[in-house]
Amino acid sequence: MSDHDHIIEPHTRTLHTRREFMRTSMLGAAAAWTLPVFLQKTFLTLDAMAADSAIQSATGKDGTILVVLQLAGGNDGLNTVVPWADDAYYKARPVIGIKSDAVLKVNDYMGLNPKLAGLKSLYDEGHLSILQGVGYPNPNRSHFRSTEIWQTGSDADRNESYGWLGKYFDSCCKGADPTVGVAIGNELPQSFTSPHPTGVSFSRPEQYRWMNNDRTGDTDALFRELNSPEQSADTNAGGSIGMIGGAKQKTGGSTLDFLQRTALDAQMSSDKVLEIARKYKASVDYPHSPLADSLNLVARMIAGGLATRVYYVSQGGYDTHTNEAPTHERLMGELNDALAAFAKDLQAQGNFQRVMLMTFSEFGRRVTQNASNGTDHGAAAPMFVMGGAVKAGVFGKYPSLTELNAGDLIYNVDFRSVYATVLEKWLRAPSKQVLGKAFPLLPII
Amino acid sequence: MLTPLPIRQWDMTKAAHLLNRAGFGGSPEQIKAFCELGLDGAVKQVLNAPDDAEQFPKPAWAAPRNMMEMRQQLQALPQEERREKFQMMQKEERGNGIDLIAWWLDRMTRSPNPFREKMTLFWHGHFATSVQKVKQPFLMWKQNETLRASAFGNFGAMVKEMSRDPAMLIWLDTRESKKEHPNENFARELMELFTLGIGNYSEDDIQQAARAFTGYKMHPVDQTFRFAPMQHDEGEKKFFGKTGNFNGDDIIDMILEKPQCARFIAKKIWEFYGYESPKPAIVDALANSFRAQKYEIKPLMNEIFRSAEFYSADAIRTQVKSPVQWVVQTVKILETELPRGQVVINVLRQLGQIPFAPPSVKGWDGGKAWITTSTLLLRYNLANFALGRGPINMQRVRNVAANKNMNRPGFDVENHTPIDFEKIAPKELRSDSKRLVAYLAFRLFQSPLGPRESESFIGFVEQHKDNLDDETIRDLLHLMMSTPQYQLT
Repeated sequence: MSDHDHIIEPHTRTLHTRREFMRTSMLGAAAAWTLPVFLQKTFLTLDAMAADSAIQSATGKDGTILVVLQLAGGNDGLNTVVPWADDAYYKARPVIGIKSDAVLKVNDYMGLNPKLAGLKSLYDEGHLSILQGVGYPNPNRSHFRSTEIWQTGSDADRNESYGWLGKYFDSCCKGADPTVGVAIGNELPQSFTSPHPTGVSFSRPEQYRWMNNDRTGDTDALFRELNSPEQSADTNAGGSIGMIGGAKQKTGGSTLDFLQRTALDAQMSSDKVLEIARKYKASVDYPHSPLADSLNLVARMIAGGLATRVYYVSQGGYDTHTNEAPTHERLMGELNDALAAFAKDLQAQGNFQRVMLMTFSEFGRRVTQNASNGTDHGAAAPMFVMGGAVKAGVFGKYPSLTELNAGDLIYNVDFRSVYATVLEKWLRAPSKQVLGKAFPLLPII
Repeated sequence: MLTPLPIRQWDMTKAAHLLNRAGFGGSPEQIKAFCELGLDGAVKQVLNAPDDAEQFPKPAWAAPRNMMEMRQQLQALPQEERREKFQMMQKEERGNGIDLIAWWLDRMTRSPNPFREKMTLFWHGHFATSVQKVKQPFLMWKQNETLRASAFGNFGAMVKEMSRDPAMLIWLDTRESKKEHPNENFARELMELFTLGIGNYSEDDIQQAARAFTGYKMHPVDQTFRFAPMQHDEGEKKFFGKTGNFNGDDIIDMILEKPQCARFIAKKIWEFYGYESPKPAIVDALANSFRAQKYEIKPLMNEIFRSAEFYSADAIRTQVKSPVQWVVQTVKILETELPRGQVVINVLRQLGQIPFAPPSVKGWDGGKAWITTSTLLLRYNLANFALGRGPINMQRVRNVAANKNMNRPGFDVENHTPIDFEKIAPKELRSDSKRLVAYLAFRLFQSPLGPRESESFIGFVEQHKDNLDDETIRDLLHLMMSTPQYQLT
């Protein structure tokens, strides 16, 4: 590492955020030895990016972007990608089965829910791929547990505490902006958890800031001052902050250093998010739904060049045990309209080629409708992958509707193959390092 | 044994440190009173504080659910009604789950024995079990009471209790484990997370141990542990190189014999109360005492709380407050009340720690993992809320319909008892900026300020010296709490 100490020429491409700008100017202004350790480290990391492909930059302007869309509650895959040519489907679902003449036919066996017309167009234009029968061995039918399995990428019989995206950030995006992962919502999803968690969450940009009651106009400046790392030579020698922050600990950088760095990150990223939210508005009309609002916000952040590699959004309400048809129809409509607007927006921005959106749900639903004209928790289900660079098509085999496991479809594509593909081919990250083992890649990108 | 702290070195900073770490902190008066007990008296109080069971009776809903009867009742209903009834029951249990969390937070905040609550919180994070899978708040409450009763008791006995604990039987699938198909979930986590740590056993050991824990069931009527001999594997098992017809308790005894077990637990306790990554010599010393005391927890805590190391610069104000610590300590510091159950749970969810709902069986990572840019900003904004002001993001507070059990003490945003600013910032101090800031700093940080912080806050007071009304004091407190330093304890 010491070989690089004198190298202060970071990637010009990566210097888009104010934080990075600030780091550069600080580095330019001061000799490297006066910098807090973490800043030096960050520079070395930025520098190392050229050499080590496992460490990635999030530039916000030209890198690929993944959008993960969670359909929470267990989406009914059979009424999403409908096996219209299969008698077994109508036999199992005499009431809630979707009539074959209404299905948007994709091939001579299956087609899309009638509400998914926008997705059908995207498919026809070559921007949507449909993965059939995605799941995992020994499926769990608890929302909590199966969501955890999808979020962590763990085997069903193992407990894994960190999220697959968190592990990706941790192993591949060290030194990146906290906005490397952005979740639209009030808390970070479980998939973002890691030993060194990063990522930002907000449902409205104006929440992601320090909200004061600055009646006199001077607290904001003081706040900024108090939430920056101290830069005097004294501090680096480990003296003055000892009183309040505790002594310098042995293991490089005290807890206070870490908190100060995070506080600076928070200020910088908050400024950036607010600035983008102010400057960039959607280029197309979005429908009115929580999901559309989320995707609208994501599109604005993308347009503004937020240094993000992964966005996370979700749509809830899929737990359709009772009287499923009207609820599911509404959800499909909202999903379709939001995704169609999002795709159009990205196309208008010229960013569709570098954005890929992937849907998932914790499980599909039982093949046979229940006595309340709904469906109970099931197993394998389809996933959609959408984007300008996606290889459109139908992948995986539609699971048999008659050879079942305890009434449920049997998966034929492990969801971690999808994760691995997205990691390797889209985010250019070593999937084995993130997922703990190798999974076969799919030809979807 | 760790070197004890010389008694004459006991002072306000150390008293505050013990109160913060062994409990959830306190007001300046409470710290002063604690300090006056002296080191010996203070540690004795931590370990022998009065029982608070009368003050915190069990929640009204905390009773066994007769599963057999409930199932029969449900089955007797027509399909549609059955589903409705079931959903109603689920809704009520969700409400009970919220009440349970509020019940515990209230106990942490108001108990005359917060030390037992803190230790219970440690064990909850250790034997991390979530209501999200267990589903029955009563069983979670029962586990909590078991952990509370054993908190300063014997670790070996506690592991055995947990192996039979109904919530644990559900959480790690032990009740599904039969001799034909032993389920390894409990056996694996028993060794990996509860006693030894990863790498100190083999996959074979897990499989053999899983066989020993077969036949552990839950009684469907009174929901207590029941051993089902027919489902228990009576065969010979080979475990840690020994062979015999071992049962679950035998397995636990053999685990406890390993010095690694004492090391693993002593280190985890030290990291929770003291600081992370202690030197091996500290862990060794604690582990030796722990084993010599046959895994009695109280003597171990006594040694920790009297040690010079616990009061060293490596320990004092080096720990990131957990979300629960942040909330409870803030309430104590500002001498205010807890927010209403749903509100505080919403807050804790966003901060990343809901009691009774740890993210996984590994519990909470804690330390630096509590802090992201989002949670840090949220803490800063919550400080404003705690000071009696918005804005706070109140949307998505779960709308659990009016539940008859939801009447725990607590305030709404609109109608909570105002903070006594005259007490927190006495009028006679307001003309002396340095004294005022030092006075407030002790309440908020329990230690002197660094020069930058000190100058900033004094500057703020000077600037407003003509109009130091309560609103301005509130601004100042919010600023002081919107700092990295306030996140430390």
